[in-house]
Amino acid sequence: MQFFSFLLTVLVPFVVASAAPAADYHEQLNLKPLPQNSLLASFNFRSNTSLPEFEAHNFRFFPRSLGQILQHAGTRELHLRFSLGRWDAETWGARPWDGTKEGGTGVELWAWLEAESDDEADHKWLTLTNALSGLFCASLNFIDSTRTTRPVMSFRPEGDHPNTTMANMHLLHGVLPREVVCTENLTPFLKLLPCKGKAGVSSLLDGHKLFDASWQSMAIDVKPVCPTGEECVLQIEQTIDMVLDIERSKRPRDNPIPRPPPSHELKCNTTKPYHADDTCFPTDSLNAQEWNLNQIFGKPMLGNCPLTDPKTPPVCIQAPHSRDVFTSMGVEELKEPGNENQRCYLLPSNDEEFHLSLPFMPRDGDRPKTDADEFVQPATPLLYAERSLTGHGQEHGGVQAILTNPSPGAEVEFVYMESLPWFMRIYLHTLKARISHRTGSDAGQTLHDDDDVIKEIYYRPFLDRQRGTQLEIRMKIPPGSTVFMAYDFEKTILRYTEYPPDANRGFDVAAAVITILPSNSSTTTTARRMSNLRTTSMLLNLPTPDFSMPYNVIIFTSTCIALAFGGLYNILVRRFVGRDEGPEVSLVKLRRRLQEAVQKVKARAMERLGAAGKEAKKVEGKSD
Amino acid sequence: MPNVQSFSSLRARSYVFRLPLFTRLMVLAIVVLWLVGIQSAWDLRKWGALIPNEMNFFTAYRMNTFPLIHLNLLHALLNLLALTPLLERFESEYGTLTSAAMFFGPLTTIPAIAYVILERVIFRVNTPVMGASMWVFLLLSVEAMRTYKINPYFVIGTVQVPTWTTPLVMAFVTAALIPSTSFLGHLCGICTGYLFGLGYLKFIAPPEKILRWIEGKLNLLGRLPHYVSVDQKTYGRFGVLPQSSNSGSANLSGLLTTWYDQPRRSLWAAARSCRRRPPYISLLLIVVGVAWLFMLPLNDYSRRTYISENALLPGQVHTYFGGSDQNVLRAYRHEVGALENKTNTEVNDKLEHMFRSMGLKVGRQNYTYTTSGNTVAGENVYAILQAPRGDATEAIVLVAAWRNVKGEFNRNGLAVALALTRYFKRWSLWSKDIILVVPPDSRAGTQAWVDAYHDSHDSRRVADLPIKSGALQGALAIDYPQEERFEGVHIVYDGINGQLPNLDLINSVTNIASGQMGMGSSIQHMFHHNDQYRDRLTCMLRGMVNQGLGHAVGPHSSFIPYHVDAITIQPVGQGWHDEMGLGRLVEGTFRSLNNLLEHLHQSFFFYLLMQKERFVSIGTYLPSAMLIAANFTITAIALWVKTGYAPKTKEKKEGADAKKADQKSEETPAAVERELYLPLSLVTGCQFLGFVPLFVFNHAPASVTLGPLFVVVTLLSLVLPHSLSFFLVTTYKPTHQQYQLITSFFLLLLGMFLSTLATLNFSLAFLVGLLATPLTFVRPFPKMPAAGYAYSALLSVLNPGVVVLSAAVAATTLQGSSGLGLGVVGVTPWEAVQKVLEEGAFGWGVWGMYTPLIFWCVWFPAWVVGSVVVLG
Repeated sequence: MQFFSFLLTVLVPFVVASAAPAADYHEQLNLKPLPQNSLLASFNFRSNTSLPEFEAHNFRFFPRSLGQILQHAGTRELHLRFSLGRWDAETWGARPWDGTKEGGTGVELWAWLEAESDDEADHKWLTLTNALSGLFCASLNFIDSTRTTRPVMSFRPEGDHPNTTMANMHLLHGVLPREVVCTENLTPFLKLLPCKGKAGVSSLLDGHKLFDASWQSMAIDVKPVCPTGEECVLQIEQTIDMVLDIERSKRPRDNPIPRPPPSHELKCNTTKPYHADDTCFPTDSLNAQEWNLNQIFGKPMLGNCPLTDPKTPPVCIQAPHSRDVFTSMGVEELKEPGNENQRCYLLPSNDEEFHLSLPFMPRDGDRPKTDADEFVQPATPLLYAERSLTGHGQEHGGVQAILTNPSPGAEVEFVYMESLPWFMRIYLHTLKARISHRTGSDAGQTLHDDDDVIKEIYYRPFLDRQRGTQLEIRMKIPPGSTVFMAYDFEKTILRYTEYPPDANRGFDVAAAVITILPSNSSTTTTARRMSNLRTTSMLLNLPTPDFSMPYNVIIFTSTCIALAFGGLYNILVRRFVGRDEGPEVSLVKLRRRLQEAVQKVKARAMERLGAAGKEAKKVEGKSD
Repeated sequence: MPNVQSFSSLRARSYVFRLPLFTRLMVLAIVVLWLVGIQSAWDLRKWGALIPNEMNFFTAYRMNTFPLIHLNLLHALLNLLALTPLLERFESEYGTLTSAAMFFGPLTTIPAIAYVILERVIFRVNTPVMGASMWVFLLLSVEAMRTYKINPYFVIGTVQVPTWTTPLVMAFVTAALIPSTSFLGHLCGICTGYLFGLGYLKFIAPPEKILRWIEGKLNLLGRLPHYVSVDQKTYGRFGVLPQSSNSGSANLSGLLTTWYDQPRRSLWAAARSCRRRPPYISLLLIVVGVAWLFMLPLNDYSRRTYISENALLPGQVHTYFGGSDQNVLRAYRHEVGALENKTNTEVNDKLEHMFRSMGLKVGRQNYTYTTSGNTVAGENVYAILQAPRGDATEAIVLVAAWRNVKGEFNRNGLAVALALTRYFKRWSLWSKDIILVVPPDSRAGTQAWVDAYHDSHDSRRVADLPIKSGALQGALAIDYPQEERFEGVHIVYDGINGQLPNLDLINSVTNIASGQMGMGSSIQHMFHHNDQYRDRLTCMLRGMVNQGLGHAVGPHSSFIPYHVDAITIQPVGQGWHDEMGLGRLVEGTFRSLNNLLEHLHQSFFFYLLMQKERFVSIGTYLPSAMLIAANFTITAIALWVKTGYAPKTKEKKEGADAKKADQKSEETPAAVERELYLPLSLVTGCQFLGFVPLFVFNHAPASVTLGPLFVVVTLLSLVLPHSLSFFLVTTYKPTHQQYQLITSFFLLLLGMFLSTLATLNFSLAFLVGLLATPLTFVRPFPKMPAAGYAYSALLSVLNPGVVVLSAAVAATTLQGSSGLGLGVVGVTPWEAVQKVLEEGAFGWGVWGMYTPLIFWCVWFPAWVVGSVVVLG
């Protein structure tokens, strides 16, 4: 039997491959030049395995290490995010994948677990976090009950689940905002891939460049997918998005220090009247991009991953067709007829390195190029969100979230979710939303009550040291308006041992998750899908004791006890006696003893003498 | 009498060997049960503790087991130490058999039942208790009751405290000091102990007859070692009951009275000596306080500075700001120079464009302040360089004000800041955002920006900030108006209200400047400091004047009240360092701040610098101001005590039998009633009078009226005591005692205010205290009017207004030497006064500076009341 299943594993891929031409593994790199000398690189790896095979421990492209964990913990759907940096929505526009493939700063994990009861779900969640912690070298095991929430409105299962399992599925969500994502998390991530970073687009991934990016997010999504009329499959999708600063990425690895360039290489604005050899007003060189794949990723792309479908182009670039792009020999360029801004490249099947370079396009000369030739103007996001702490001092504070709907015509409905640590005691009654219109006749006015903005609130209050606050707010913002939402909180004084080693740094508060609900009225495609957004995390300063203080307190307390206890105890217990009744002081006693001894000796001596005298007398008498 | 000195190990050993049987058994049981409790297989504590909710008929054993079980070693040890002597005493008094009967019976169960009922029925909680401490308190209260019968009170000060309260006090102390003790449980024990001590529980003691019979039948005395027989027992601890024995009790009570009277007598003696000596004590305190300050610059009292926060690593990084960045800097200097005479809005438009082309986020903020009739308005522009991999959690601020505190155009400073920001953008190592703030002036602009950043602004005057970053970790202001190259940097560090930045920040800059850049650095305008006593003292005193005035000395000052450590760097002198050197200094400092994992907290926040590398910390300098503040309090208390006794002792003294009378009066001082109405209302009235000038000077328009107004107010205040005194004397004819009470009250207030202030703003408390010292010695001179007028003249010289006016005159005439940055150089005294007043009103309105409050509501009222007393 064992042998038979082994045979199956070996043979089935060939059988399936011949039966269905679409391979079960798919990978693609999407490059998108952005304004201000940035480049968005989206890596996407996807593999499927049919559910029955998965149940039979026949994992194929699905990573076995992860699969076993999922089976053990009864996980039906899993989403894991490692993120660093912040997305600059003002410059870069809408987020990749509508924000669905990113998490807040640090590590974020949410999963649907199949369990009969909440307790069982908690138990499985503990198993899952601990196992994933080992697998990804991240402190996921620190997601304890105080950091776990059960979101009600914000998350929906992405996969297709049968109704029978849906009833028993529990959603648990945990965030570690303080976790620093680094190379140690990338290595296990790459190991999950079939080509393991040795070939295909994943060969471009290098920790030095990935973690030097202005923003990066690594995501793993596991969900069951049931295409209509076909067998259900379990799909794992691994995504890495990063925004590279081109100038920074182009620096050679052995000399990463941004030394000042030689003065003749400086691009100056020569029209300035003071321009001279030693005076140079730098021109806005931010828009002209010039790079190639090797430079910005630090290493070349090593051909195709042989496990992918050869028909799918592994590399695509989203730039206007007027942008010059050069590639290495034998590469086939595909342009979709409908899409003006996308080009894809099919690589030859040999293992040669793939090169792609975007040359410098001069802004002056015969045919001057403009920004429109350089990059596609980024789409406006549906919502801008910003969150910051207000107030100062050690006792109270506040949080303010500024949410802006930039759209001129469509209103936006979303769920705003905060999971706050328990030591941030929020006052829900202080939650206020103020709306201000940016456009229209009542611009700048703040007229509305929060009733018009806040539609629904789900609030689960904190319990000290047991669970944090969970706050979900469904809001609707009219077009062209900004909502200022604010609430106050009180800072808790923690116990001495509850402070982390770097107590004066403050405590990280996880990012707020904003889920933009699909709107029915809107016609655009982006608005019909669910999209996500996350604010930045915050640093909360709690009152921190001087940690040398306990020492002083111990000394002080001991003194107090010694004085109070000792004094009173002494008074209560001391035995007062008259002088003549008490025992004699030792020296006097000694003297008396001496005196007595002397007297005894004297007496004896006298006795002796007396006796001798008598005897003598007797003798004398006798002699008489 | 046995005491500590006569303690000997031999006696202790013999005491232990003589412990009676029941005590031994109990000690053994506690120790054994503790040992049993160590193992983890069976939870002894759960089995034996008194858990209110688990009490029923079958678990009644818990009522007897709970005192023997302890939580841990410490708990057991402390209870053993407390219990053993008490139990030994009890046993030797009542006999082993009785003790066993009592302690396995009522004395344990009564408190236990009381506790369980209280917990379950009344409080409806369920707190398990265990440990012998209940017994300890029970026995203590039995003893206390007994003591109370002999000796009902002991005296603390003038209060008679009943002795039976001591176990209660101890229970409070225990509950307060030792965590997780059951106050209720102790209380139950104490109550039972009281009942027992009062004899209400005598009926529960087993009848002696039966005990005697048991003892005789079993021959316990013969069989058991250390057994205390029913007959052996002693009544009372003195061998005989004190009440019934004449000789013993007389002896004893004599002993006790002396013992208990001792504190009372010594207190009386202290009060007596205090009554006579306060002026000398006060004078001594003042002299010591001032001398203390002058000792501080000596090597033995001040310390060398050091970097306390290891993460800072100042001067350990290479700085790369240089090369072609200088070309850019020159261009920026041209750009900034071209904007010199443009309006605030034009300047900000241009700067915003430059920031945006560097790829920074830009915000602008309007503010309008109105003080003294002047309107200060402007618009701040600031740019945020987002940390490339950061998350808007922390930020460092670089301030380059358009004009510095003196109003000079900060051309080079701004150019350096711009070039640096452009250079910083290239690095990817920033862990914190960098915010470049360009306020149009150094006084109001930064204040508006910082207030709005922390949302503590008044939105009618100051606009909200459109964009923000994380928590501010530090701020550095560049103030470089001079065109030439410089020799060294001058570090300005005083904050508003005399608050100071963390010493580590100053040390880091000094370290980088001298160690890495080879520049000199200086503080408090002491550009040529020879590190000798005289220079150190001058430097320290200059720092104290700046701290005492509490005003903003640079754009950084506004940051400090928000716990953001900030300094201003000013290049000074003629040397060979250029702007790039300054840029590298800022770069090095920013790299150090960037290293910080935690907010600066390691080093000192309270210090006096006397050289850039020498300081005294608060523990060393604070006594100086505290002693001066204490001198007022001591005189006040002494006067209060004095007023309680007959005031005519002096007149009696003049009689023939002066000595005798004096002695007599001291022996039996006649207590008199204090007439408080007049003193209280006078002192309160004058205290509130101070708010009038405070209000007037903070709201009067500055256009010429402020200077003359001040002179008028000063003249009025000089006349005020005379008229007030005249009014008092003619209407109320205050007695000598009332004058003393007036003095006592105002000195008490002054001492209290100043000692509190000393912890907040040492220098201000010291300076005000020093100028108010003559007020300690005020008294009416009814016999010698000339002396009264002379003293009043002395006080007039030290009138707050006169002091300010003369300081203004002195500061303007001694222009050359006074480089305190007070902004009074090159002006007439008249203008200087005007300027000081405007600064006061501006500080009060904009910075939240409380110096005017101290001036008008602490010093001024004290001076008025003091002068009234002298003239009485």
